Amino acid sequence: MVNYFVFLTISTGIFAIFALGLNIQWGYTGLINFGHVAFMTIGAYTTILLSMQGVPLLIAVIAGSLLAIVLGLLVGFSTLRLREDYLAIVTIGVSELLRLIAQNEEWLTQGTFGLQNYPLPLGEFNPNWLSKGIMIAILSAIALFAVWQLKQGIQGEFQTRKQRQKIARFPLDLGIWGILAIILGGIIYFNGVIALVNYTYKAGLMLLILVTLTILYAIVQRLGQSPWGRVLKAIREDEQVPRALGKDIFWYKLQAFMFGGAIAGIAGAFYAWQLTTIYPNNFEPLISFYAWTIVVLGGAGNNAGILLGAVIFWTYNSVTRFVLPNFDWIDDARLGAFRLLVIGLILMILMIFRPQGILGKKEELTLGR
Amino acid sequence: MVDNSRPLQESATLTQDTSQSSLLSAQGLSKSFGGIHALSNVAIEVKAGSITGLIGPNGAGKSTLFNLLSNFLTPDTGEVLFDGEPIQQLRSHQIAQQGLVRTFQVARVLSRLSVLENMLLGAQKQTGENLFKVLLQPKQLKREERQNRDRAFTLLESVGLAEKAYDYAGALSGGQRKLLELARAMMTHPKLILLDEPAAGVNPTLINQISDHVLRWNQEGVTFLIIEHNMDVIMSLCQEIWVLAEGKNLARGTPEEIQENSEVLEAYLGQ
Ligand SMILES: Nc1ncnc2c1ncn2[C@@H]1O[C@H](COP(=O)(O)OP(=O)(O)OP(=O)(O)O)[C@@H](O)[C@H]1O
Ligand SMILES: [Mg+2]
Repeated sequence: MVNYFVFLTISTGIFAIFALGLNIQWGYTGLINFGHVAFMTIGAYTTILLSMQGVPLLIAVIAGSLLAIVLGLLVGFSTLRLREDYLAIVTIGVSELLRLIAQNEEWLTQGTFGLQNYPLPLGEFNPNWLSKGIMIAILSAIALFAVWQLKQGIQGEFQTRKQRQKIARFPLDLGIWGILAIILGGIIYFNGVIALVNYTYKAGLMLLILVTLTILYAIVQRLGQSPWGRVLKAIREDEQVPRALGKDIFWYKLQAFMFGGAIAGIAGAFYAWQLTTIYPNNFEPLISFYAWTIVVLGGAGNNAGILLGAVIFWTYNSVTRFVLPNFDWIDDARLGAFRLLVIGLILMILMIFRPQGILGKKEELTLGR
Repeated sequence: MVDNSRPLQESATLTQDTSQSSLLSAQGLSKSFGGIHALSNVAIEVKAGSITGLIGPNGAGKSTLFNLLSNFLTPDTGEVLFDGEPIQQLRSHQIAQQGLVRTFQVARVLSRLSVLENMLLGAQKQTGENLFKVLLQPKQLKREERQNRDRAFTLLESVGLAEKAYDYAGALSGGQRKLLELARAMMTHPKLILLDEPAAGVNPTLINQISDHVLRWNQEGVTFLIIEHNMDVIMSLCQEIWVLAEGKNLARGTPEEIQENSEVLEAYLGQ
């Protein structure tokens, strides 16, 4: 059970990072990127191929992320001046192109045979009690940071509601969200501590991912609330306004696209480390839509919503994977399709009743302009 | 000066007035959309420190002229000088950075941002608009943001929107949106504001307010070029008025000269 929760934490963490990238692009800036997985592909293959040549992992990840930025620059520079739907078409095409390159350039990527036995972070790490103590301390620091962020977020929301709707009492829904978040964080934290005590490779990976997610979340959150993020939100709504006020909208869009890509590139490295073997098929267009599902579920433009969306997505994924097979009205082959179908249904219901996503704000709806 | 109100159709050369230097001047501007000649060989001049009017019947090409001056549309021909420098090779955001800021005929506010955020977007050269500086210079960012908020509140106060600062701009009425757009343009510390029909759809009390603000800001050194159908507003505010009709210069002159110009009357009545 502990290991299963570790797996869930890892998957959730990776896709939360991945979706944070999309949130910058679409949630904040309104750029329709249907090929987000392309950045992940670049990040994963670059990191793995370089590390197989003996390049230190950290440098390999940075290189992967830089190449993702270059990809963003190339795709963005050629399409961001055009109408917005061009970006949607080109990105999905580029992501498939990259996957096909990975499939066919066997000298580089081993094609469908896949890449195996590559270096893993903390792969041969055998922690003594001291190292375990340090790791648990790091996990605790993350937990504290999360609690602090939660407090900040809830207080900030209370504050704006007071200013906007002139309410005086602390709203119930914020309290419920706070308690839910504490429970969820508590489960991840205590499970993480147990996993670190009985150290395995996956426990180490989990910690690394949580550290990375925390740092990236803090960065994205700060950028989102900065004047930089304000320009992005302005572009999302009506780019003529920031243009008339002296903002170089093309450059901002390009930055958002590249930055979101860099983040997805990092997610790609972790994705490869989780899988321990990568095939071109791991980078299907469907992966991009996982990110879209997470962003739409959680609330576009809301980073806390992204975390929630990722949790819900992976909880759903694992529940259906393990509960549904117990009923024999559906065979394994159809199960996969059925699970996607239900996700589609959930999204449709969400679009009808809460198009802004679970934590999104109705007044800031990104969809349907 | 006497025959300043004579028609200017053909050559559209500017009679230079040496007493006041021109802040903005354009000559030979043309623009067609497919077969429609929205503007042909149009000139305009705005003197530094003035409030200048731009009038003409519907479809005369006034808004199109604004689009050309701010490079929101690229002119087919013509040249634009702002503050003595040619600006038509600049991109529109660069023109705004130079201090030539436009507004829109249908007020464009960002309804999913708060009124205050709309205002803050107008501030120029913000440290926090640079991705890296956001992360590396948080103190500087905070200080600037506080200054910008102060200025935003002062401006909002003066247009009567300070109470709504934290509301979504989408909750504002049409007239309030016009006011927000005007205040937001002021937030950029502009030299010249192009106002496209500031009084359209605004109730009479608000119209008076807008006029008062324009006058006050003009005294503080901001130049205005105003498109307006409301003649009371135009005649009371402007020192000079340019008239467009069917994409051509029809006349220029003082409010009195324009009011007595028979061709102008004809153009308005003839439609
Ligand atoms: N983007 C465009 N595409 C095609 N035609 C256009 C476009 N913009 C303006 N026009 C045409 O150019 C002419 C001038 O339009 P413009 O909006 O500049 O007039 P205006 O003087 O501002 O009128 P109003 O007082 O009604 O605002 C009109 O015939 C209009 O239909
Ligand atoms: Mg117009």
